[in-house]
Amino acid sequence: MALSSIEPYVNRSVSIITGDGRVIVGTLKGFDQTVNIILSNSHERVYSSSSGVEQVQLGLYIIRGDNIAVIGELDEELDSEINLNDIRAEPLNPVVH
Amino acid sequence: MLPLSLLKAAQDNPMLVELKNGETYNGHLVSCDNWMNIQLKEVICTSRDGDRFWKMPECFIRGSMIKYLRIPDEVIDKVKEEAFKPRGPRPGGGPRRGGGGGRGGASRGRGGRPRGGGGGHKK
Amino acid sequence: MAASAPPDKKRRETLLSAELGKYLDKRIRVKFQGGRETSGILKGYDQLLNLVLDGAIEYLQDPKDQFKLTDETRSLGLVVCRGTAVVLICPADTMEPIANPFLQQEPS
Repeated sequence: MALSSIEPYVNRSVSIITGDGRVIVGTLKGFDQTVNIILSNSHERVYSSSSGVEQVQLGLYIIRGDNIAVIGELDEELDSEINLNDIRAEPLNPVVH
Repeated sequence: MLPLSLLKAAQDNPMLVELKNGETYNGHLVSCDNWMNIQLKEVICTSRDGDRFWKMPECFIRGSMIKYLRIPDEVIDKVKEEAFKPRGPRPGGGPRRGGGGGRGGASRGRGGRPRGGGGGHKK
Repeated sequence: MAASAPPDKKRRETLLSAELGKYLDKRIRVKFQGGRETSGILKGYDQLLNLVLDGAIEYLQDPKDQFKLTDETRSLGLVVCRGTAVVLICPADTMEPIANPFLQQEPS
């Protein structure tokens, strides 16, 4: 039920927040029952309170479902209007188990 | 496309695996199973802090300990060639065209970017 | 591979026993969830990855940092390792520390 709500995101840009506090943006290419996901052309956005957002190219990624906290669709239009160099933000903390 | 189909298609390819304990393993995928357990060969292990390294000819990693896998971009195109059959209930889940794949050869395969415990650089 | 693979159980069986069988009577290194590491001679195993190790040694953890090992070891003798806690298995004597291999590899 809830799983099928990921289906519309396939082949779209998504933003993933992982259990260890990373933000990864990429194109969702697939997923399975345990919410393992495939991201293509992905990059990580490394936030920092002292300088702008650093983008690190990652390419093709499989992220295990256990390590995923949030999956959200990325509004590419809105996203392109954001100047990531101006963004200052504390990095997220990892999930504590 | 199922993540495990992609992983199976990635056999014999180099990859980077980060574990939940923050260690990363760079090696060639020998095999994998439906639990995402994997066997690697020609492995380089990088410690959580990213400044100690070990090499080993092969190793076996339990799937549930994996955080993510980084796979060469080309592999996504191989999945389609291998006429994968979706096992799950996914009507209309035919092969999809790989949008803009195959780029970023530059950053491929350097690995060793563990960020687990802060990775040292940039706070 | 093995497109006509029988149920999942079979696949795992194939992978694990093929892999662990060749380590029998050889010294393997085992990493566990929580950071403990041991090595020992593999005497037996099952499909759940429970292991029997003989002449086992534990590499002690740094009390200040559970992710670091010290040079100290302690002898454990004959042990059964619980499969659910096993994270990684590799042949023990072939694992060696090396200098950062990613620095000179950049160009390729």
